[in-house]
Amino acid sequence: MEVPIDEREAQFALGVVEQQRQQVIGEIGVPEWYWLFLAVGWVGIGAVAQWGPAWATSVATLLFGAAHATIAPRVISGRHGSSQLSVRSDLVSRRMPAMILGFVAVMAGLTVAFALLLNADGARHAGFAAGVIVGMLVFVGGPSLVAVIRRSERW
Amino acid sequence: MVGGSAVEPRFDELIHPSTRLSIVALLAATDWADFAFVRDRLEMSDSALSKQFTTLEEAGYVTVDRHLENQRRRVRVALTADGRKAFDGHVAALQSVLAGNPAGTQAVG
Repeated sequence: MEVPIDEREAQFALGVVEQQRQQVIGEIGVPEWYWLFLAVGWVGIGAVAQWGPAWATSVATLLFGAAHATIAPRVISGRHGSSQLSVRSDLVSRRMPAMILGFVAVMAGLTVAFALLLNADGARHAGFAAGVIVGMLVFVGGPSLVAVIRRSERW
Repeated sequence: MVGGSAVEPRFDELIHPSTRLSIVALLAATDWADFAFVRDRLEMSDSALSKQFTTLEEAGYVTVDRHLENQRRRVRVALTADGRKAFDGHVAALQSVLAGNPAGTQAVG
């Protein structure tokens, strides 16, 4: 049996297919609550480091790290940014999890750098202030990073 | 990119109509999607979309899973292996038409 369409119709149909693919790519993301969890954790650890004993900071950091290690694998793939669908894995950049974890690591380093700088500058609550500043950076910067990665998929 | 080079081109009459092609293409990019997501993205009414899903389900191209979640009824739709194969074959057929080589393409439906 012969294919009953011409080139123009085939072009149009392929356009429809691509349009739907782009709709799904637009849903690639990390849930907002993940960034909120990180930001709150950051501020919390900053507070404990500022006003608690040294052992409490270690325990809080370990607990936060364990909670993050449990949660992150489920969400940082970018396939479940919306609860309404699961994006096919071949549509999502394989770099996304590594880039998000790299971002978190950079933010951790930045927290220490901020705390040392603020402390050297004579700030009274350097540890807490560093936690708040970087917590806000994580909350705002995280979604922006994901948006950049997502855009790189729209070729 | 859609439709791998190893896929046999098969023009599928059931998938080809624009509305159904949109539905299948949307589902092909997902593991599953909520009925509401498909409805909102394609700006269709519940009844029109249900009708299309019934046709696709009868052809064995989609599965429709109805369940309760937090006391709310959710309908989750996914492409079956047959549906994905048909979609990939259809896309390959469209590409072969564009490449000016529809002769080796089968038509089904």
